[in-house]
Amino acid sequence: MKRRLVLVFLWLIAIDQAVPLLLEHLERRHYEGTRTFRFENSDLFALGPLVQYLRDHPQHAHRRVVFFGDSMIFGYFLKPEEAVPAQLQKLQPDARVYNAAVNGQEIGTSYLVAKEIIDSVDVLYVEVVGGRANPLLPSLIPVDASDLRRFHLEEPNRVETRLESWLGRVWHLYADNYRLQAALFGTSTRVFVYMHKKDALNALRGFVANASSPEVWPAIQGQISVRAPRKPGQVLDRNEQQRIKNDLAMLARAHHKRVVFVEFEWTNNATDGEDAAFNAAYAPYAETVIVHVPPSVTFDGQHLVPVSSAAVAAALAAHEEAR
Amino acid sequence: MIFTELRFVALFLGCWISFHFVPRNYRPAVLAFWGAAFYLVYAGPFSAVVLALALLTFFRRMSWIAAIATVALLAYFKLSLLVPLGFSYLAFELLHVVLERRRGGIENVSLVDLLAFVFFAPARIAGPIKRYPEFVAAVHDAEPSTENVYAGLLRILFGLSKKFFLADILSQTVAESAWVSSTKHAWVIVFAYSLQIWLDFSAYSDIAIGLGRTLGIVLPENFRAPYVAKNIREFWERWHITLSRWVRDYVFTPAGRWLFGTPLRRVPIAIAVISYVVTFTIVGAWHGLTPGFLLWGVYHGALLSLYHVVRVKTPAWIADHPWYDSRAVRLASIAFTFLCVTIGWVPFMLPLPKAAKMLALMFGIHR
Repeated sequence: MKRRLVLVFLWLIAIDQAVPLLLEHLERRHYEGTRTFRFENSDLFALGPLVQYLRDHPQHAHRRVVFFGDSMIFGYFLKPEEAVPAQLQKLQPDARVYNAAVNGQEIGTSYLVAKEIIDSVDVLYVEVVGGRANPLLPSLIPVDASDLRRFHLEEPNRVETRLESWLGRVWHLYADNYRLQAALFGTSTRVFVYMHKKDALNALRGFVANASSPEVWPAIQGQISVRAPRKPGQVLDRNEQQRIKNDLAMLARAHHKRVVFVEFEWTNNATDGEDAAFNAAYAPYAETVIVHVPPSVTFDGQHLVPVSSAAVAAALAAHEEAR
Repeated sequence: MIFTELRFVALFLGCWISFHFVPRNYRPAVLAFWGAAFYLVYAGPFSAVVLALALLTFFRRMSWIAAIATVALLAYFKLSLLVPLGFSYLAFELLHVVLERRRGGIENVSLVDLLAFVFFAPARIAGPIKRYPEFVAAVHDAEPSTENVYAGLLRILFGLSKKFFLADILSQTVAESAWVSSTKHAWVIVFAYSLQIWLDFSAYSDIAIGLGRTLGIVLPENFRAPYVAKNIREFWERWHITLSRWVRDYVFTPAGRWLFGTPLRRVPIAIAVISYVVTFTIVGAWHGLTPGFLLWGVYHGALLSLYHVVRVKTPAWIADHPWYDSRAVRLASIAFTFLCVTIGWVPFMLPLPKAAKMLALMFGIHR
């Protein structure tokens, strides 16, 4: 028994030596490769590893574009390659586009994540929706005390965090297990298995699914457009959403990065005058663009079908080129 | 999961090291000390309440106050739906001590042993519900050996694997109940929940038993392949065994005995039915004072009553027929019992209005 316990211990030590190299390889393939980047099953799990990777690798060969938002950006009911960020990636092959949207994600989350990665990215697209931050966020990324108070978030247990940090210094597998899972599967192992259980069962049965079978989407009518109001006026901060926008715009200006705030017309609470004043105040670092999506180009009155998703991406790309 | 938190691991390591290096007589004190530390870390000021209840239980004259306070606190926490760490389990363990001392089942109680019993961390998270005499004997007989450490670690690994590789993956399917819309999908979700709750709960028990084993302490088993039970009574002999035994000893048997002293003694079946329904309503309430849990408890009480009636009323020529004990009938019984238990999980897993919708979907009676 003693021998077995010692052998297991030695085996763990041996494996641990290979973890950093393995992680480096897997993360490079996952984050810098050509595969469409999106959180599988709209799961928040991989957000922490993405932030850690970007912070650890501020230098990059390709322009980095990160999208934040809710189901509109995530691509509710769409395949990863059909969502707006992936459609933009097709139009801008020189860039590496990350779809960091999660269903129900509000701008508070986007702001806190953006603060962490601003030095490692070039352009941020932030959907303007809500004002809160996800309560799980402090367990995924560092959040400073003032932001914890501002967004009413609970601080992770300090003793637990310190113990995790100590153990992580001597045990790579423990420290990097979330990052390894995210780099391997794009999400947690459990969500990956859940998402792909049918594929595994079919593989066991020797059944090959017809991957190219097209879904039938309703025919769309109507024109998608993007506009950025430009008439100067007074920048307002009368609510939390506007305050977050202002803070994020100032952050972008301080770091010489660009943030594009994407407002879908039906969620746009500000007047054109307010958006115009905002755009004038923070140009060229931050800009609010209003996306007009008629219900006729959606499948449920709100969410985009693949064709309209491509049209939104094209309109966003055209707007950036015209700037 | 508290078991995988480093604070818990650090506390348990401290406990394990001290337990192995102090003289045998001091081991209960070590368990009490580290258990109290665990309670302080995870339950904060509530530890004082637990200590007070333990002290009240210790003094024989005040033990009834302890029992009333324990039941009142349990009811209060169940109503507020915010039960402090492991209090449901602790409450039943304290009540067991009070009742057994009254019955004469426990003669002498040492304060240190009682505190070790009350604060014992591995079983405080999700059971098993311990018995004082067996626990004290297990602590005093504990043999810290490499074999026990190895067996304990394997059991912990087994529990963790069940939890993370099976139960947590199934929980993703269970979460689909938010948008279920077809009969087939509803059945898939409910069967997934049936497996998930067993794998998840038994995994916690595995880890608790494994942790105990690394100390050389044998804790009671809580699950014994419950879904191969041939009838609902056997199911409750295999599912959450320590809870079943507790309610058998402290609710079902006393209730039946009391009812036999009433005019109902002429109708023994009625006594059994009332005892089952009362007992399992309490089991439902123990899980939470919500309509869903209560309905689940009443449902199991009704199933057990029905099984009792069928068993008593089945003519001898059927019961003695070789076909009655054939493999086909046994398999059909297992499948039927599993189906009944699985349907019963619906009000357990969902709030009542959603549970009603789910059941309607399952049986194709939705609009």
